[in-house]
Amino acid sequence: MTFWPQALEIARVDLTVERRVGSTLRITLPFGIVALMVFPLALGLRLSIVSEVGVGVFWALGILFGMQIALRQSATDTPERRDLQALLGVDPAARFTGRVLSGATLMTGFLITLLLTMALLFDPDLPGGAWPVLAAAAVLVAVGLAELGTLAGEVTTGLSNRAPLASLIVAPLALPLIIGGSQSVGAVERDTGILPWILLLIASDLALAVAGVALARPLEEATR
Amino acid sequence: MTRARVLMGLAFAAVGVGLWFALTAPPDALQGEYSRLLGIHPPSMWLAFLAFGVTAFGSIMWLVKKTDRWDRLAAASVEVGVIFTAIGLFTGMVWGQAVWGTPWDWQDPRLMSTAVMFFVYLGYIALRNAIDDPTVRARRAAILGVIAVVQVPLVYFSVNLFRTLHQTQSIRPDGSTIPDEMLLAMFVNMAAFTILYIALMVARIDVAKSESALAPESALAGEAVRPPRLDEVEDV
Repeated sequence: MTFWPQALEIARVDLTVERRVGSTLRITLPFGIVALMVFPLALGLRLSIVSEVGVGVFWALGILFGMQIALRQSATDTPERRDLQALLGVDPAARFTGRVLSGATLMTGFLITLLLTMALLFDPDLPGGAWPVLAAAAVLVAVGLAELGTLAGEVTTGLSNRAPLASLIVAPLALPLIIGGSQSVGAVERDTGILPWILLLIASDLALAVAGVALARPLEEATR
Repeated sequence: MTRARVLMGLAFAAVGVGLWFALTAPPDALQGEYSRLLGIHPPSMWLAFLAFGVTAFGSIMWLVKKTDRWDRLAAASVEVGVIFTAIGLFTGMVWGQAVWGTPWDWQDPRLMSTAVMFFVYLGYIALRNAIDDPTVRARRAAILGVIAVVQVPLVYFSVNLFRTLHQTQSIRPDGSTIPDEMLLAMFVNMAAFTILYIALMVARIDVAKSESALAPESALAGEAVRPPRLDEVEDV
């Protein structure tokens, strides 16, 4: 098996396990929607403010809940499973790529659902052209978050305080993704051109992909 | 330890000279006495960038060579770098309050990216503290050290890439926007802070070596229990 079939097989197995466990669909997604509903209540139901902060709330919740998806239990390999994959000759870079593919698929679904819910609940005052940009930025952010989450998840595997520690690592490093996502929509509103912000997102995704592939072998050995 | 003490004495003397230069330079016409913070703020941030660069270098070298000295270098440099970042953030806020009228601007990319860099390296230290096994700790920290350094150029060039309240670089190829006396004070302090960085690094690496030397004794559970000897059993 060459690189891409290995990566696709790992992604397929990940998604199958996730479909059975259902942590993203049954826990993280409903929790994210509840969190979206909490914001208007916390803001005192002042509709003008609610409509203004909608996109910002979407990005903040997207990053925070995206980390939960990236660090989901079903994406954690036991040492025995790692050993088995190593013995079977699975390329560590293909393993990383597969993990990112499954994470990005789940994250994209989550972010798009969150975006639609936000549009419904917050009714943000955005120009028509901002919605496709917002959707495209959400996909690019999902890929970046999946890469970051996979890296942080591997680095913190097996630690008792894994979730808060990985979040502490991912949240600050996700800054270029938050800036790129929020500013691309802001650029449509200001009519100043979205290209630099979309390029920032693509560059961040590529840099993380290169880092992940280059560090794949030390990542595989991270628990030994 | 003697080497660390000599270096530390030298560093404190150098910092003393640097501060004397900063305190005796004429005050700026617009910024007044607050311009003296130029003697501390840019050197602190320069040291932070250097420290995190050294961490990335040590991390890469550990991944290649797998020897403890590179892990000790990376770990020590992060701790010193975090301290200098905190000093840079604090002095920047004091200066900002006096000159901009606000210590912090949430929309300023330089301020935000510097704060984020600070938290990333706090995460690095937290990661190290969470792992007991020295090899696992070194490997995971090295991976994070390589990834985390990507943001350092983003912090440095944020003033050029985005519209910010923070001014762009004061020293450029075509000259400087800082008066000569303050520029001299800044360079003297940069040199002094660099000596302080080296002194702190040497001291921290010495401590880490001592910790490594002590670690095997405490790491082996039950080592203090002596196994029964056959001849003693026979005597009974």
